[in-house]
Amino acid sequence: MTQLVIEGLTKWFGGKAAVDAVSLSIDDGEFVSLLGPSGCGKSTTLQLIAGFEQADAGRILFDGEDVAPLPPERRDLGMVFQSYALFPHMTVAQNLAFGLEMRRVGKVEIRKRVDRALEMVRLSEMADRFPRALSGGQQQRVALGRALIIEPRILLLDEPLANLDAKLRDEMREFIVGLQRRVGITTIFVTHDQSEAMTMSDRVVVMFDGRVAQSGAPREIYERPAGMEVANFIGQANFLPATIVADEGRLMARTVLGVRELLPGTGLEPGGTVSVLIRPEALTLAGADDAGVVQATVDSISYSGNFTLYRVRLPRGEMVNIQAPGPGRQARGDAVGLRLALAPLWPIGIG
Amino acid sequence: MSRRVLLLLPSALILVLLLAIPYLNIVLISMRPSTPDMAYGSGFTLENYRAVLSSVRTWREIGTTLWIGGATTACAFVLGFPVAWNLARSPGKSQALRQSIVLSPLLVGIVVRSYGWTILLGNNGVMNRLARGLGLTHSIVPLMYNRLGIIIALTHVFLPFMILPIQGGLQNLDPALERAGRSLGASRRTVFLRVILPLTMPGVQSGCIMVFIMSISAYVTPVLLGGMRVKTMPMTVVDRLIDSFRWPLGAAEALVLSGIGGLVLLVFVALTSRRWNRQ
Repeated sequence: MTQLVIEGLTKWFGGKAAVDAVSLSIDDGEFVSLLGPSGCGKSTTLQLIAGFEQADAGRILFDGEDVAPLPPERRDLGMVFQSYALFPHMTVAQNLAFGLEMRRVGKVEIRKRVDRALEMVRLSEMADRFPRALSGGQQQRVALGRALIIEPRILLLDEPLANLDAKLRDEMREFIVGLQRRVGITTIFVTHDQSEAMTMSDRVVVMFDGRVAQSGAPREIYERPAGMEVANFIGQANFLPATIVADEGRLMARTVLGVRELLPGTGLEPGGTVSVLIRPEALTLAGADDAGVVQATVDSISYSGNFTLYRVRLPRGEMVNIQAPGPGRQARGDAVGLRLALAPLWPIGIG
Repeated sequence: MSRRVLLLLPSALILVLLLAIPYLNIVLISMRPSTPDMAYGSGFTLENYRAVLSSVRTWREIGTTLWIGGATTACAFVLGFPVAWNLARSPGKSQALRQSIVLSPLLVGIVVRSYGWTILLGNNGVMNRLARGLGLTHSIVPLMYNRLGIIIALTHVFLPFMILPIQGGLQNLDPALERAGRSLGASRRTVFLRVILPLTMPGVQSGCIMVFIMSISAYVTPVLLGGMRVKTMPMTVVDRLIDSFRWPLGAAEALVLSGIGGLVLLVFVALTSRRWNRQ
């Protein structure tokens, strides 16, 4: 098991920095997601770690050892690809054995470890099948088994769930996380899907334009995003202007939806103005005439089954997104009342 | 299904009319007796086959022909695979350009191309003069009027037929397969031998079959580059048919060459399929 440190990693592609001075430190056994839109440099970072690309600047250290001189085959990594990249001319067992054969493990030992790996990925019955005779989820599990059987230092997952349908994706999420916890392997998971990153990771590293925008636990990323870009990428976000006021020594934010406490540790002074982040689920719809509500008009509704997303217009014209459980009674054009939850607010930008 | 069969009809018709029937005719002629005044006489005989198969000269020429065919195929494979790889992995626009460069030799007739090689490879040709001018050698290096010259020229002439099917096979491969192999601890060489080559084997087989067949039946290039000092079977067959006017013997020789060439290919396909192509 391995601690991974990345220092000032930079990679240029055609005059543009695909990865721009990225620094990261990943602990032994940690599950870290690299999350960002396509072209943000997350996959390139993974390719650099794996050794398929050479960095233009910066260092990659496995347990303090610079791996720059090592070709991919000597880095001792397990990798799962978006296309799974199973060898189509080999059976499941042969796919699993490949990495061990490369390490010149004895035949008897290979058979033992292949059997164990088959059990681990719950494919013992499929040992002699060819990959094309397997379902997407089964292929995915072979790919995982093949990467883990060599007992690599680090597990790299490159969008491994992108080719699965929604239901299978949820199953595989749990499977991967369960396996990772059991094996205890340092894991880097590249994805553009924020919910995958949130549910699976110990830590999420959000990347934009080749840079790390924020690195933190899922909850921290969601509740205290480093900027509007991060807040927008991780779920839905409303930004409302607020004035900072002091109340019995606590900092409060005054917005059109009411006065709420500010989360501590912001270093702001009373009297300033900021934007505060309000997640759609922090807002509830009420009757237009209920006590203590802010008046608004429903602009659009999108119904998703277990919740409904409303877009409503405030009296001064600001648009706000609200997420409410289940189907609502409101229709477009209805006058409604808005309530903001009592939880503290996170200031996200000046003014 | 029945409608799709209709799609085969025109080419099937042409093949039957222009290939199957003449071939059948050749088979028949090969079993006719020779006569001094006509192309062939009447009646049936296996004498021609006996004559062909018992002739040491024929076997020597078949040996030469197969050797040239095999060597040409091997050279075309060694030279063609890297080119196919490069083509398969280049992005769209540049691939089209490179592809047309690979195919461009086909625009020039085979006679002209072979003649071009005689200019390059002759005893007083460009290569020899260059070698002497650079002081690499003081004597003449025989580059043609031997098997070497024929193989060089045939390799050049048939290279596109090796490259295209292999490129097709490589293009269908997921590029991640190579990375998967490397990440599992395989060197580039091992990835090539255990993953890339087995998976492109159908393309390699088609390329090899085409180049081999065309090489053992080539006439113009061996004549020009061999200067009649190297005898291959097609030359002998042409001699028989045109110079000595012994059609039955020529037909038997041609069919023996086809048969042996076919056997060689069967063995090649069986070996390569069992060894590599386990899908």
